[in-house]
Amino acid sequence: MLRFLVRRFLGAVVILFLLSIVTFVLFFGMPRDPGLLMCGKTCNPTSLANIHHVLGLDKPITTQYWIFLKNLVVGSNGFAQGPCPAPCFGYSYHTNDQVWATLIDRLPTTVSLTLGGAFFFLLIGLGTGLLAAWKRGTLIDKTATAGAMVLSSMQIYFLGPLALALLVYQTHIFDKPAYNDFTANPVTWFTGLIIPWVVLSTIFAAQYTRMARSAMIEQLQEEHVRTAKAKGMSRRYVFFRYAWRGSLIPIVTIFGIDLGALLGGAIITEYTFSLPGLGQLAVQAVFFSDLPLLLGVMIFSATMILLFNIIVDACYAFIDPRVRLA
Amino acid sequence: MSRGGRHVYAALSVLAAGALVLTGCSKGGSDASDNNKQDKENAARQQKSIKFGNAADSTGPAAAVPGAKAGGTMEVLQRDSYAHLDPAQIYVSDEGSLATLIHRGLTGYKASDNGKTHEVVGDLATDSGTPSDGGKTWKYTLKDGIKFADGTPITSADFRQTFERLFATFINQGPTYLQQWMADTSGVDYRKLLPDGPYKGKHLPSTVLETPDAKTVIFHFKSPHADLPYALAMAGYAVVSAKGDTQVKYDKAPVTSGPYKIQSFKSGKSMVLVKNTNWDPKTDPIRNQYVDQFNFTFNQQYETSTKALLADSGADQTGLSFNNQVDAGNLSSVLKDPKLKSRTISGYQPYVGQMNINLSHAALKDKTVREAIAYALPVTPFLRAYGGTDAMETAGGTISPTVSGYNAAFDPWGKKKNPAGDPVKAKALLKKAGKLNMKLTFGYINTPEGQQYSTAMAAGLKKAGFDVQRQEIPAETYYDQVSKLNNNYDIFHSAWGADWPSASTVIPPLYDGRVIADGAQNYPQVNDPKVNADIDAANKITDPVKAAAAWEKIDEYLVKDVVAFVPTAYYKQTQIAGSKVGGLVYDDVIGGVDPRRLFVK
Repeated sequence: MLRFLVRRFLGAVVILFLLSIVTFVLFFGMPRDPGLLMCGKTCNPTSLANIHHVLGLDKPITTQYWIFLKNLVVGSNGFAQGPCPAPCFGYSYHTNDQVWATLIDRLPTTVSLTLGGAFFFLLIGLGTGLLAAWKRGTLIDKTATAGAMVLSSMQIYFLGPLALALLVYQTHIFDKPAYNDFTANPVTWFTGLIIPWVVLSTIFAAQYTRMARSAMIEQLQEEHVRTAKAKGMSRRYVFFRYAWRGSLIPIVTIFGIDLGALLGGAIITEYTFSLPGLGQLAVQAVFFSDLPLLLGVMIFSATMILLFNIIVDACYAFIDPRVRLA
Repeated sequence: MSRGGRHVYAALSVLAAGALVLTGCSKGGSDASDNNKQDKENAARQQKSIKFGNAADSTGPAAAVPGAKAGGTMEVLQRDSYAHLDPAQIYVSDEGSLATLIHRGLTGYKASDNGKTHEVVGDLATDSGTPSDGGKTWKYTLKDGIKFADGTPITSADFRQTFERLFATFINQGPTYLQQWMADTSGVDYRKLLPDGPYKGKHLPSTVLETPDAKTVIFHFKSPHADLPYALAMAGYAVVSAKGDTQVKYDKAPVTSGPYKIQSFKSGKSMVLVKNTNWDPKTDPIRNQYVDQFNFTFNQQYETSTKALLADSGADQTGLSFNNQVDAGNLSSVLKDPKLKSRTISGYQPYVGQMNINLSHAALKDKTVREAIAYALPVTPFLRAYGGTDAMETAGGTISPTVSGYNAAFDPWGKKKNPAGDPVKAKALLKKAGKLNMKLTFGYINTPEGQQYSTAMAAGLKKAGFDVQRQEIPAETYYDQVSKLNNNYDIFHSAWGADWPSASTVIPPLYDGRVIADGAQNYPQVNDPKVNADIDAANKITDPVKAAAAWEKIDEYLVKDVVAFVPTAYYKQTQIAGSKVGGLVYDDVIGGVDPRRLFVK
């Protein structure tokens, strides 16, 4: 297991390294000069050159990349805005905020949105999927299947404003979505996120319903399940002890990917509900051609996805004893 | 200033794309007429009333707002977070609105008790300034009892620091009028006067800036600058603490001087302003301090803030936005409902739109062709794309209704009467020029609004006999592309707003042929000797009324005789607040709600 983890982590580092190179190259391939954003009204070649110098954009790309890597590992005291301890992604071109501090500041919003949403979509999605599989062929199964089909075709930018209009602005049943610090007030934290969780889980739950149902039905037709039934084990025992465990692998796989992607920033959800998370930060970085912020968000998001992929792979060994990690 | 900050706007317009949607035909009927009438009345007052106040006008406290009471918390829903808090870095309107609460300068705009008229008065100074030597020397005396939020007295040393640090290279976002006047130069050459600011022991010579004692600040210019009181009222020239000047870091944690101080600021998330106990209302003729606390929440798109404020529940009852507008999708319905309308304020923004005609292209050097474009161009599509007549008004000239010298009757191309254009007349002119079916490349910004209005405008021009080729330009690089001297576009749209209610901040940067350069704002590349000479002459006029008349003459000559652009629209906006927000007044100088008068009902 240790060997497996070390190998996967080293692989992840290589991927992140390559990703940072690609981001760097793509950034400088963009038609827009980030210096112009800071150049103000009286921009001319002299002032632009000065800004390029201040930002370090007048150095060759390879030098800039080397400085970026060095700062990431050992930090830097070379910024006019102040010291930048490792991992140092530098300071945002647009806001002059330290990028790492900004990422950490935005993380609780994204983590809250992701974990709450995941709780709901797992609960609703798997519950409905299992029920549909248990009641296969009945009206409950058909309703669940059809409902999942409809909901999985929905989009957050449609459901989100609809939920806001109906549940917040017209009926005032729920509070306006907002991120409130959990440690300051768990109740306002919960009430502020309930609508985003519901909308996020509505869309995600549908695919888990479909997946859980089909995986369970497939498992229930496996020979070892049939054998268990033939041995006289109860339907409930076979369903949960044999079929359910076998169905977990595809569900855990997709859950790990979803969780990693959401932790990297649920861009549309955060934008729709005005939640200041990593997704919103990513949009800001792109619009303002903010290289340090862009690199920070990209690498952070990629790290989340890679991390959860490794966790998922490690989980296989626990879920299915036939899987051996090497 | 260009709309929303020159380069930032292009990006922000994309962010706003979701909010600014097509609302169908422009709104007519009595509501629209009433609104337009009200806007015009406000603007007319604005043009007439701006004057320079004396010591009596500059004495605090500010007049009480009728019905106001102290206390309460106000929620402020903002789309964009504040990128800059250092006054020297503040230019765009969002931060300018905030600055009215936290920063003070030598002068400021004083609104009358009903918010209808304005004058420039002494803010931290005892009056709006004493000129001598024909406007080349200006003297300011500081008031007694003025302090920063940390309790430190404000002295002339702070103002020396304030003005000297403008020359440091890290100050690159704010206005540059004063620096250029002090250095008697244009562009960024002003930095040569004090290349490192005051940070390496050098200071501005007494021939430029004098601070003979703790209370006196004297400017010496090489040429007259009658507009100095206006310029000093800009947030960009508000006072910076010499003791607390942390250079680049000041942008995150400035030492404030207004009635409110920053309790917390989480960039991109939230901000809390609380009362500054070291602010003495007796020294301030401009601001009130009724609300206990302002809670700002950022990333609220126009549609989100509008819906929240329309719902008027919970904390949003004491909510408003300093800069968000009612989104285009809700605008008509809000203004039609008397109950909702009572919670709105409307007025002009400083921006004026224009379709530029690229004079560097050979085919467009023919004035008859340009006249054909001017007659043919329909402006209705532009108005419709941004929400109709509630959000835009057909323009005659390039001087906004909020700027001194505006002439409402000026409409040489008949756009006010016929905003759809006159393709017949245009076709006749094109035929006369022998250019029927000439190719016309139309560069347009690739936003939903740009897509919409460019299609309809192109159709209007085609009717007049132009072979229009539309070319989209990414929103993020729009102004970079169109400000290149050798761009491919024959016509393209831009917008510009005055920095203060004088066309001296409009005509020189946009049409002075001597400032044509890559990245400059003379987009049509006008280089007319008469215009250049008239600009020089107008800049020397010290009487504001005579100066306004001179600028309007240049404007009329540019629009009617040079025909280098076609004015399209005066930008307007409507804002909404919760039912428990008091003191809601639209301020044409701020270009939105006046935060200094607000109270919780």
